[in-house]
Amino acid sequence: MSVRDELTTYEENTWCPGCGNFGIFTAFKGAIKELENRGVKKSHVLITAGIGCHGKIFDYLNLSGFYSLHGRAVATAQGMKLGNPDLYVVAFVGDGDAMGEGLEHVLFAAKRNADITIIMHNNGVYGLTTGQFTPVSPKGFKGPSTPFGSVEEPLNPIKLVLDAGATFVARGYSAKIKELTNIFVEAILHKGFSFVDVLQPCVSFNDTYELYNKNTFFVDKIATTKEEAIEISNVQDKIPLGIFYKEDKPVHHELLLEGKNLFKESLTKEKRLQKIREFLNI
Amino acid sequence: MDSSKKDIFTILVGGSAGNGVKKIGAVLSSFFSNMGRYAFEMEDYQSLIKGGHNFCVVSTSTEPIFSHYEKKDVIVALDERSYNKHKDEANKNGVVVYNSDLVKEAEQNHIGIPLTTFGRKYPNPELRLGISALSVLFGVLGLSKDELANLIKENFRDVENNISFANEVYDYFVSHFKGERIQLDKGNKRMPVVSGNEAIPLGAYAGGLDMFFAYPMTPASTILHFLAAHTRDFEIGVMHPENEIAVINMAIGAASVGLKTMVASSGGGFALMEEALSLAGMTETPILAVLSSRPGPSTGVPTYTEQGDLYFALNQGHGEFPKIVASPGTHEEAFYLASELLSLAWEFQTVSILLTEKHLSESRKTFEIDLDKASFADYFKHTDGEYLRYKLTDSGVSPLLFPPSQSVIKFSSYEHDEYGLSTEDPEMITKMHDKRFRKYNSIIEKFKNLKTVNIYNSHLGDNAPIIYTYGSTTMSVLEALKFGKIEARVVQPIYLEPFPSWEFKQFSGVKSCVIEQSVMGSFEKLLKEKTGIEVNSHIRKYDGRPFEVESLAKAIKEALS
Repeated sequence: MSVRDELTTYEENTWCPGCGNFGIFTAFKGAIKELENRGVKKSHVLITAGIGCHGKIFDYLNLSGFYSLHGRAVATAQGMKLGNPDLYVVAFVGDGDAMGEGLEHVLFAAKRNADITIIMHNNGVYGLTTGQFTPVSPKGFKGPSTPFGSVEEPLNPIKLVLDAGATFVARGYSAKIKELTNIFVEAILHKGFSFVDVLQPCVSFNDTYELYNKNTFFVDKIATTKEEAIEISNVQDKIPLGIFYKEDKPVHHELLLEGKNLFKESLTKEKRLQKIREFLNI
Repeated sequence: MDSSKKDIFTILVGGSAGNGVKKIGAVLSSFFSNMGRYAFEMEDYQSLIKGGHNFCVVSTSTEPIFSHYEKKDVIVALDERSYNKHKDEANKNGVVVYNSDLVKEAEQNHIGIPLTTFGRKYPNPELRLGISALSVLFGVLGLSKDELANLIKENFRDVENNISFANEVYDYFVSHFKGERIQLDKGNKRMPVVSGNEAIPLGAYAGGLDMFFAYPMTPASTILHFLAAHTRDFEIGVMHPENEIAVINMAIGAASVGLKTMVASSGGGFALMEEALSLAGMTETPILAVLSSRPGPSTGVPTYTEQGDLYFALNQGHGEFPKIVASPGTHEEAFYLASELLSLAWEFQTVSILLTEKHLSESRKTFEIDLDKASFADYFKHTDGEYLRYKLTDSGVSPLLFPPSQSVIKFSSYEHDEYGLSTEDPEMITKMHDKRFRKYNSIIEKFKNLKTVNIYNSHLGDNAPIIYTYGSTTMSVLEALKFGKIEARVVQPIYLEPFPSWEFKQFSGVKSCVIEQSVMGSFEKLLKEKTGIEVNSHIRKYDGRPFEVESLAKAIKEALS
């Protein structure tokens, strides 16, 4: 269970005992502390989340932000970043939430290199709605909506976001907290679209602890091309973890807003009326 | 040369898409406004890029004018379809000019000009055809070729070729025109001409708009185009994301950190935004949403007008929460209302919907505006002490605070406690419902000090019959009453939710009629539901076209007799 500290709210924690979300929660709090050491104030880190077991992290983390709709946290996050580019924005999403309901927002955020961080709690199952298959569940997955096994091939989130234009891509595992903490820090500090796929066992509907404990390893280098990143991230006998790709590229809000901070630089009524007078020539 | 004076003067130019008809409409209305006259310009175009049938009608007067007219003084048909469709719309002495290269059979008193032949002497002849309407107009008005050349210089590129083409048409027309010249008096003041889709964003901008998000959907798209073109000089943000769901969620996200945002769409796109409008209600995020209607249901008729979305606007968002819906009657009101709705959204931290129709969005009118009357959005600010995003207050409105802050600011889509954390506690659920409901009552109190209903012609006294209408239909009604010299009051609720029922107690015991562009009479139903008023008759139009002044006047006379 989590310990009460300044990053934890008074909300009663209702994740199942042993849930992979605890590891993500602990790693994220550790990342916030490390970011403070590196000069990023926690008041400047804004969070948002979709709906699902993952989303409860919004209620448990004592940080400002916006608890969004199912599938929409990535759109919300981009709005927040455009709203005040001084802020670091992190979107917690689920695999069903972000690869199903709201996939378009993830792909487009990657396409435009939105300067946000997406942390995808990937448990391969819709936990909160009692165990249906998600877009990343393997073919044959049995759940209440696919009692005879899913007939669809799963999506590959890492490949998808790399193809779409992501500039920071990593995979973590909720039980490897130290490494996950470091991945979160690097993802948040990365200027551009960061995507962290976090493998997370669901003890109630998809318990993958044994599989992940035995069959994961950390890659020893960051790829220099997207093709290489896709290759080194590919799951074969074992599941690779770590930071696969990192690239410096102009970010969306700076290009679109041409460096403006609209919140700080909002014009007065008088200036606006003057501009309208000029436009109307009156 | 004989000439006759006219006050209300109407010209129609018809052709196929790609003939520059829309551009000519804009040039004509600004020409009349430069004479100090009032003008109203209606664009009728189809959902296609080339071909088809497009036309514009511009009516002008030295008095304020709120509609185009059915009967025209000048008709210029650039192709056969336009000629056959509009030739019978001329006034008794109206001048009908057609492209004799394309029209096979024409009436004897109509004037054929070989426009295509003249046009072929220049590059891009198709694009140039519309200019012939200016030549004809100048001929009818007895204006010189020098004046014509000046107008072309001010409004078109490729000036030399265009002037040469215009002069050839002018000379040909003048030598064949046997009718009387028409003399138009100059008016007193020069006004700009704007479309509704310029008036709305200008009003929102005056009211404090920082960033606009939209996905293209006719007839709302021109708001996006207008603001995108002014991103730099207005110092605002404009974004066109992947779909309407992204649009509204981004706008809400940006508003949650302090930006004043607006979104706009038509019915289909608005339907996609609905879940998030409910999110704005729950999270108490201020948002201004513009809904510009086309005929529905479904994809409907994209480039035409209807008022079939009234209940759709009123019932936006699942669950119960306070929201504000209002619909402007004129272009000027659209400006003031957009600023006021943005302000109300911020004052009450909820959704404001500006409901309008293609007819107001895309018609253009001389704009008599007092910019200083615009509202400016402000909000209840947190000052000191512990911050609670959803602090329970008497008004239901909680103070706002934006990051970065030492305090934690939590907006939540789930039912929540005052701090913003999810709750399932029955007592807290009740408290939060009550809090949001108190905002509804606060909005009503606010409305009692706002102009929520327009009453026109109240000088006629309490016994005069009443026409109830709303939205852009108001303009058609006002012009029809003027044209038909009909003595009736017009009652137009600007605000539709919460409905200003208290304003309607004074209207009883007189003959009344509802006029709206809806097949099922949604406004008539709303009026009865909210005020108990049962009208004697109604006039409904739902063919996608706005009312025509002359036939509406006739229908009103019958309805009120």
